[in-house]
Amino acid sequence: MGQLVVNGLALGSIYALVALGLLLIFNTVQIVNFAQGQLLMLGAFIGISCAVTHELPMAASWAITMVAMALVGVVFMTLVYFPLRGRPAFLVILTTIAMGIVLENLALIIWGPLPVSLPSPVSGPPLRFAGVVISMHQLFIFATLAVILVLQFLFLTRTRFGILMQATAQDLHTARLVGIPVNRTIAVAFALGTVLSGIAGLLVAPIFLAEPTMGGSLGLKGFVVSVIGGFGNLPGAVIGGLFLGLVETFGARYISSNFRDAYAFIVMITVLIAWPRGLFGEKSSEKV
Amino acid sequence: MTSEPIITARGVTRRFGGLVALDSVDLDVPKGIVHAIIGPNGSGKTTLLNALSGASHADAGSIRIAGEEIFRLKPHRIARLGLARTFQNIRIFDNLSVLENVKVAAACNKPTPFFDILAANARHKQNETGIDSTARDALETVGLAGRADDQPSQLPYAQRRLLEIARALASKPSVILLDEPAAGMNMTESMTLLDTIAKLKSHGITILLVEHNVRLVMGISDRVAVLDFGKKIAEGTPSEVQRNPLVIEAYLGRRHRHA
Amino acid sequence: MSSALKRWPVVAASLAALAIPLITQDSYVIQLLNIAILNTIVVLGLNFVTGWAGQINFGQAAFYGLGAYTTAIATKSGLPWITTPFLSAIVVIAASLALGLPTMRLRTYYLAMTTIGFGEIIRLIIVHWEPVTGGTSGLRAIPGISIFGIGPEGQIQHYYILVIALALAILIAAHIRRSVLGRAMIATRDSEIAAEQSGVDTTRTKLAAFMIGATYAGLAGCLYASSIRFISPDSFSGTQAILLMTMLIVGGMGSIVGCVFGAVALTILPEALRFLGQWYLVLYGLGVIAVIVLAPGGLASLGPRLQWRQAGVR
Repeated sequence: MGQLVVNGLALGSIYALVALGLLLIFNTVQIVNFAQGQLLMLGAFIGISCAVTHELPMAASWAITMVAMALVGVVFMTLVYFPLRGRPAFLVILTTIAMGIVLENLALIIWGPLPVSLPSPVSGPPLRFAGVVISMHQLFIFATLAVILVLQFLFLTRTRFGILMQATAQDLHTARLVGIPVNRTIAVAFALGTVLSGIAGLLVAPIFLAEPTMGGSLGLKGFVVSVIGGFGNLPGAVIGGLFLGLVETFGARYISSNFRDAYAFIVMITVLIAWPRGLFGEKSSEKV
Repeated sequence: MTSEPIITARGVTRRFGGLVALDSVDLDVPKGIVHAIIGPNGSGKTTLLNALSGASHADAGSIRIAGEEIFRLKPHRIARLGLARTFQNIRIFDNLSVLENVKVAAACNKPTPFFDILAANARHKQNETGIDSTARDALETVGLAGRADDQPSQLPYAQRRLLEIARALASKPSVILLDEPAAGMNMTESMTLLDTIAKLKSHGITILLVEHNVRLVMGISDRVAVLDFGKKIAEGTPSEVQRNPLVIEAYLGRRHRHA
Repeated sequence: MSSALKRWPVVAASLAALAIPLITQDSYVIQLLNIAILNTIVVLGLNFVTGWAGQINFGQAAFYGLGAYTTAIATKSGLPWITTPFLSAIVVIAASLALGLPTMRLRTYYLAMTTIGFGEIIRLIIVHWEPVTGGTSGLRAIPGISIFGIGPEGQIQHYYILVIALALAILIAAHIRRSVLGRAMIATRDSEIAAEQSGVDTTRTKLAAFMIGATYAGLAGCLYASSIRFISPDSFSGTQAILLMTMLIVGGMGSIVGCVFGAVALTILPEALRFLGQWYLVLYGLGVIAVIVLAPGGLASLGPRLQWRQAGVR
């Protein structure tokens, strides 16, 4: 059972990363990116192209992937955010979904439908204690999440640009009025959000294999995590992600593994019915 | 001819976080008059209207409309008690024609069971005819009868305001809340508006009017209440209120602070 | 009410529709048209919920599937066909209530996710309840429409029945549009607050739209199972739900004519462009984005605006 906890937390960390990427974009421009999962998939495959196809060293592969994802994020922003500014949320949802379809099918064309594996950037014998086995990769996942959280916190609160991003997130209009380079902060938000998803992809592929259709369910789970944690709430996303990872792992083991994907939705629907604003409350509130 | 006020509000309080938007406001609106609520920006006028109409309920206090306590009632139920309202930023159904806009409200007291709609039976047709004539009467009253089949987007601003009033009228209300109806209107349009309000009054409808333009309302109102920082600071006939030093202070003081 | 539908474009279109089997007898083409008609009915249902009442709904494909599977399971276990429309309707109405009641007050993104989740759960149930639903292989050899032993044979006869079903669906939709309920739905979407203040119970209205939309999809599913005779979970997946939504948008949200355009066009297009292979979906996605950015009112808004508005078939 302790093993399930470890596995669940590792899985949950990945979900948390997807959610963090989602929230970074949402906090800045109030767009929920329904293609976040496809971006994760893209990250995985770029990593695979580097490390497996071209046999580059893992460190280089990771670096190239992150840079590539940042560029993808900016392109994504240009195609989705700017043309649709001010349009109803519903149309933005549809557009990001359509982008997801485009990305998924491009991936199918480029890399084919078969699952591919990506090696972990770390290797070595797994840790064993208290009856549980923690693989090096799982440790790496925890470490990555921790590092990203710290970096994100420092960036947003201690660097000048990070503070500007927070300002933009709180009130875009005013931010622009006081001279904050709003477009730049939005671009950075998209870039970072996409990089986070790419990293999640690089972390998932060694465990679950990568294939072009993997984006759908992972993206939805990222969203579910954001809902559980309360939209806009970063610590909530992490806790929500870990929680979902645990629920899914335990559910698959004790109830049924067929309905693995359904647990996320059931949890989400339950949470929404009881707490329409998420477990930790939303940041934004509506005016009458 | 009862003497009970159509609106009775006691101790209405509304807070937004740390801000007290309404501070224990009492209000009595007798039937059949035009009652104005004025006050500087941010004094809580619209918040009060929202509390009365159920759009955004008060946190505390009692509000009775036509004798019924409306606390926590959904807005559509309050509407069926006989209260209609217009909005500061005009909220019109842009995807419905002018006539259809008014018809929505005309159906207020005539809930048609879905079965009747599906069966297209006599009762449904009867309802539709009734709704149609009520709607057209309302448009006639505000002078928009000729534009019944147009789209609201084709109407100039002042006429969109009149459309909103026609819609309010069509629900056959006992009281209409008008939220800054003269906003954005020129002199001529405001005059037409005042005429329309007078017409409504002559139909026996009570009018509760929130207006920023003080001079405009003094001519038409029977009673005026003044809000400042969420508190009612004065009440009486227009001339009484105009001479009230507290009121002058509130307006003048505001102007100086902004200057 | 029906005065709108007597205008010449509608009459011309109806005649054209009826004449198609005279032009081509190719059963592949006719079957494609049959599927297009079924999709149109589903999209018309979606139009109530999303086009008029303004509620995002990615669960429409699930209701489609529920209707199809209910019908298939019922007829394969020996129930007479005539019971299937009623059974399908009951199942989807119950499901739409189960989904709708808790979610009517959710906001856009949450509603989108909840309806997607609902669709996924239904799909998973269908896929994993193999003994009853046949799992991923689906159900074959589904008995066809049969009333007192008489039923249509061949694609063309099915075509005419489906055209009649579509005509009914359109007439009912147009009728509802002109009624208190239709106006209440559109009012709810345009300004929920103003609708409430005008006496509209917006929660009830949204729920009604939801249920009517689900019923359209469920009945279409019933016809789907009975005429195509083979169903599998793929036809009712989340991707299908997205495709249905895009049919609504591309055709023109809120417009009955738009629904027909969008559904027929986007059902035929993938077949016509089959040679593009995987690229079809890539171009499809980009095309949808283009339509949203350039013509958010859908293709219906590009047509002769005034004429359609006067016709009232919005």
